[in-house]
Amino acid sequence: MSNASERGVHRDHSPLLPTVSAGVVGLSFLTFVLAWLVLFPILTPSTQLVGGVTFYDVFGLAMLLCGVALVGSGVASRTGYVPATPSATAGVTTGVVLGVLGFVVTGLFVSQTLGIDGPMGLGWFLAAFVGGAAVFVATVAPREDVGSTVPIGAFALLAGLVVLLGVIGDSWTWNPSGLAATFSGDMAVPVVALVVSLLTAWAGAKAYEGFGARGRQLGAYMFVNLNAALMLFVLFVLIAFIVYRGLPGVLRGAAVGLGTGPEVAFGLHLPFDVPFVTNSYGLRNDVNGVLPAVFGTIWLVVGAVVLAVPTGVGAAVFLTEYSREGRFTQVVEIATNGLWSTPSIVYGLFGLAFLVPRFGNSASLLAGQLVLGFMLLPLVVITTRESIKAVPDSYRDASAALGVNQWQTIRSVVLPAALPGTVTGIILGVGRIAGETAPILLVTSSSMSPFPASRFVPRVLSGFQFTAQPPFVTNTELLQASSALPYQLYALITAGVGAGAGSDADIDPWSTALVLLIVVLTFYAVGIASRSYFRRRLQE
Amino acid sequence: MSKTDTDSRSDTQTESQPLVDHTVEGETSEEIRDEWTNYDFDGEAKLSVSELNVYYGDDHALKDIDMEIPEQSVTALIGPSGCGKSTYLRCLNRMNDRIKAARIEGNVEFEGKNIYDADANLVELRKRIGMVFQSPNPFPKSIRDNISYGPRKHGDIDTGLLARVLGRDDGEREERLVERSLKQAALWDEVNDRLGDNALGLSGGQQQRLCIARCLATDPEVILMDEPASALDPIATSKIEDLIEELSEEYTVVVVTHNMQQAQRISDQTAVFLTGGELVEYDDTEKIFSDPESQRVEDYITGKFG
Repeated sequence: MSNASERGVHRDHSPLLPTVSAGVVGLSFLTFVLAWLVLFPILTPSTQLVGGVTFYDVFGLAMLLCGVALVGSGVASRTGYVPATPSATAGVTTGVVLGVLGFVVTGLFVSQTLGIDGPMGLGWFLAAFVGGAAVFVATVAPREDVGSTVPIGAFALLAGLVVLLGVIGDSWTWNPSGLAATFSGDMAVPVVALVVSLLTAWAGAKAYEGFGARGRQLGAYMFVNLNAALMLFVLFVLIAFIVYRGLPGVLRGAAVGLGTGPEVAFGLHLPFDVPFVTNSYGLRNDVNGVLPAVFGTIWLVVGAVVLAVPTGVGAAVFLTEYSREGRFTQVVEIATNGLWSTPSIVYGLFGLAFLVPRFGNSASLLAGQLVLGFMLLPLVVITTRESIKAVPDSYRDASAALGVNQWQTIRSVVLPAALPGTVTGIILGVGRIAGETAPILLVTSSSMSPFPASRFVPRVLSGFQFTAQPPFVTNTELLQASSALPYQLYALITAGVGAGAGSDADIDPWSTALVLLIVVLTFYAVGIASRSYFRRRLQE
Repeated sequence: MSKTDTDSRSDTQTESQPLVDHTVEGETSEEIRDEWTNYDFDGEAKLSVSELNVYYGDDHALKDIDMEIPEQSVTALIGPSGCGKSTYLRCLNRMNDRIKAARIEGNVEFEGKNIYDADANLVELRKRIGMVFQSPNPFPKSIRDNISYGPRKHGDIDTGLLARVLGRDDGEREERLVERSLKQAALWDEVNDRLGDNALGLSGGQQQRLCIARCLATDPEVILMDEPASALDPIATSKIEDLIEELSEEYTVVVVTHNMQQAQRISDQTAVFLTGGELVEYDDTEKIFSDPESQRVEDYITGKFG
């Protein structure tokens, strides 16, 4: 008890508890990583390691060790054998987390292992409830050092024993009644190991700092970091998977060297050749490519940005700087938020019914640009408004006190300060519209093969023609239908994933996905570069 | 022009056709005015305020202010928080126009004309009556751009691409203006080697002197300062105070301050506002701090109140 009331400024230097807890955290972390590798499945769980040991045994042993160490630390701290500063209770949050776990484990054991259904199929529920409540009480009632280690340690011990003794192992399967799925041991064991390792790492982190406020701080810190790491991991896996599947198709027939690439101008050739990107579709091609779709996507995004950014920024300036805050701005705010969350197929339907009949009754690039522009518009308005509101009023005061009028103030002080926020909005919006399939399917590509020949590459810049009669400027390219990467991907997937990858000349959907990813990431890169340029202008 | 009695003042008013026909109601202001004889000074008045009333909605923030501000001197406005001294200051260059709920009645004469007249040119007014704010508020631009911001926007200096192409580049004039303004604000020696750096990288005191320099760049005659040193440390404060004294040789400075020692150190005359938006006493600073007419002012200055 005396340890609990000690109030030293410096940490007690007895190394036993921190050493053991650090071991628990490290072992849990290794188990965690190993469990992911087995789940994915990069490692096979039944692989024989040295001396006939399998990964099942490794998981079982790790959980057993963590369990023993945690129970040991809790008891040692409670009896005063090691110094610690625990609070009176582990807290309701810990109790609820472990209670839910107890509920699930007891429920599964009673209903699946023992096969008890009880009256009206509620028997397992009552048992599970009692089990959960018991774990909750066991967590909350004792002092923190026991409450936050012994239940978790016991659970880890149990799981370790079950796995080590082979109760759940290689040949174990589980067919839950009412579900078509079958769970096997090589899936269940790593999942159990994941959950257990998270819990033991948490408890170990608390024990490392001797429980109390410091212990909870470290526990929370560990979870927050784990969260961030997990997010990066998911992103990395996603990109790595697409690259892994798509890269061979993209690089098919690729060559590097002087004069190998397609001609750019004046007999000059690019020093590299990636036929998948630079070719269109044609019967005589060795490698068919996605060039028309790439250009389609690029022009759609450029058109949407050109339409949405000036109008959106203008609307935001009016709403924030000129109009009075009131009913009108409230309604506009609700409307913009609503527009931003409107499903894209609704925009597409509007384009199909309203725009397409007005553009020669055929699908066109322009209709797609307009529809995507409408989709981007609300986000530009929302983010620009927020960043204009965030510009300090003292800038406006300073400018007004110099006799500068409102418009000049907006143009030379407010907008430059708000620009980085606007660009952030555009980056987010471009990510959405570049991958948009539904509206493009309806208004831009409906009359178009997803794999067009080279004459269907939209050449917007050279398509402008000037005439003597109104409307003076025409662009047939803008009024033509066009393919786009997401549309092409959709067409490939509806034909069956991988169905196109039979012969060398066919287009692999993963390669299209990779090219789409690269196009979107390139837009991101441009956006982020311009944002940091505008930020730097404000700071340097 | 000097105020000697109420009659002569009302005469001048009828001559100069006041914008708002304001009738004095209630005796409170008369009572207060009785407590002290009107401030009499030698020289010209730069600004003369008469029967100024400000309302924020139903709140009567300033009550019947009559005050003449002599040129090329430092006038301090002191008083407890919420007494209306900042509101009063912001009336002098019509910054209160920016507050939608504010309603202003009365006369503020600058060079013989009411600045609240319908034909008043706000741009010209604010160029000639500059303002420095409580916390330093330089723009997130370079030091040079901060100084030349006003003249550029007014079209007095043009360094744009078109001007350069047409050979009408004012770059040299801009450099001279920046140097002159920074020297006047006693900042030149500290920043002359980094005029292209962002102003937000300067220290708080340097930023405030930059704001003063920015204000000087539009060539004002009056400089209004709203507690210009309240966000600064003692060393930066004393630099600002020295600067104010220097500026008063050429400019008319009106400064709001919370700090009575500061008012005593820097000002030639002091106006005391007390709670309720009343101007209670206005006289030579020495007189206010040594022998005030009003008991309330004496209580305030000796710390018994406010």
